[in-house]
Amino acid sequence: MDYGYGNYQNNAGGGGFMNNGSQGIGENSPGGSASKTYGKDTLRPVTIKQIIDAQQAHPDADFKVDGVEVTQLTFVGQIRNISTQTTNITYKIDDGTGTVEVKQWVDSDVVNSMDTATDAKPKLMENSYARVWGKLKSFSGKRHVGAHIIRPITDHNEVQYHLLEATAVHLFFTRGPPEQLKKGGNAAQGGAAPGQQVGVGGNAADNGGGQSGRALPPLSGPARKIYHTLETSPQSNEGLNVQDISSRVGMQVNDVLKAADELLSQGLIYTTVDDNTWAILDM
Amino acid sequence: MMTEATPRINASYLESFQGQTVRLIGKVTQLRGEQATIDANGSVTATLNRDCHLVLNNAVEIVGKVNPDLTVRVLAATDFGSNINFAAVDAVVNATHRHKEIFYESSE
Repeated sequence: MDYGYGNYQNNAGGGGFMNNGSQGIGENSPGGSASKTYGKDTLRPVTIKQIIDAQQAHPDADFKVDGVEVTQLTFVGQIRNISTQTTNITYKIDDGTGTVEVKQWVDSDVVNSMDTATDAKPKLMENSYARVWGKLKSFSGKRHVGAHIIRPITDHNEVQYHLLEATAVHLFFTRGPPEQLKKGGNAAQGGAAPGQQVGVGGNAADNGGGQSGRALPPLSGPARKIYHTLETSPQSNEGLNVQDISSRVGMQVNDVLKAADELLSQGLIYTTVDDNTWAILDM
Repeated sequence: MMTEATPRINASYLESFQGQTVRLIGKVTQLRGEQATIDANGSVTATLNRDCHLVLNNAVEIVGKVNPDLTVRVLAATDFGSNINFAAVDAVVNATHRHKEIFYESSE
């Protein structure tokens, strides 16, 4: 997720950043700006309610769930209706949280090989459960999922498994990683193999293993990231300015301010020389 | 008919979902003609329709409406077989209500 924008920005001064930055990215990852989407290409487990509630900044923009762009998604639901058209098969799928249309395009080239295969495989039937992999699409204001694969569910534990996985991922994006994993990460940083721990922005080594390992209250992902940056970046007792943090973590200034507000209200950081410079409040 | 969300519940949530269409998974413990008893973290009495094919001792998922007397009128039933992890089912019911923002619109 972190492309090391911070490093490029630190090396470049002012307007030169744009050139330097884009060159640097191009070198590291093929495809230049296009690689941005590829880098974010994830397969996200969701509930159908999350699909219905997904936000779109403007038509043609990527859909966002919990403020994070979704590209590929997967879900499990019950097939309510199957309608076969000449070019596609449309399934109406209901997972108990909502209903969505799923379209699978019929590829005329593979129809023949499918005919022999369908007899052996379990079929997709109305009222049976299926797992869908696909992309969320919007066509004249109506949402549907363009499916790559639809597979019937044979073990119904997968229904429960999927809903729990979707919940876990939802919580990851809204509240940050689970507390015990974070503690595990801190322990590794302070432990015997600092070279293996990359840390956020690659700055962890500067800290010399002085991790507080302090148990944080539930925080949003960005707030957690900024706390971690403040914790691990070299700084004077004045702490870090909003611009500095923004360049280190590659976040918009607005988002940094919002996350800092959250940390301030939790009493985890305090303002130093001005309202936009913060340091960790050590107990 | 079933376009709205059907929240996943178990016996302990019946009271708060009176009059609503819900989804519950349980083990079929008794079959008596039109009625069945299902163990979903507590016993639930379900009124069946003609299309239901419940299998004794198997897990079943019921989509149904909660009556005022806390019995469930079955709209659809799906056999889930004999190999269902009920601890996972309970975990899903808990997650559904604790993190309802991704599962159903709450009337509150």
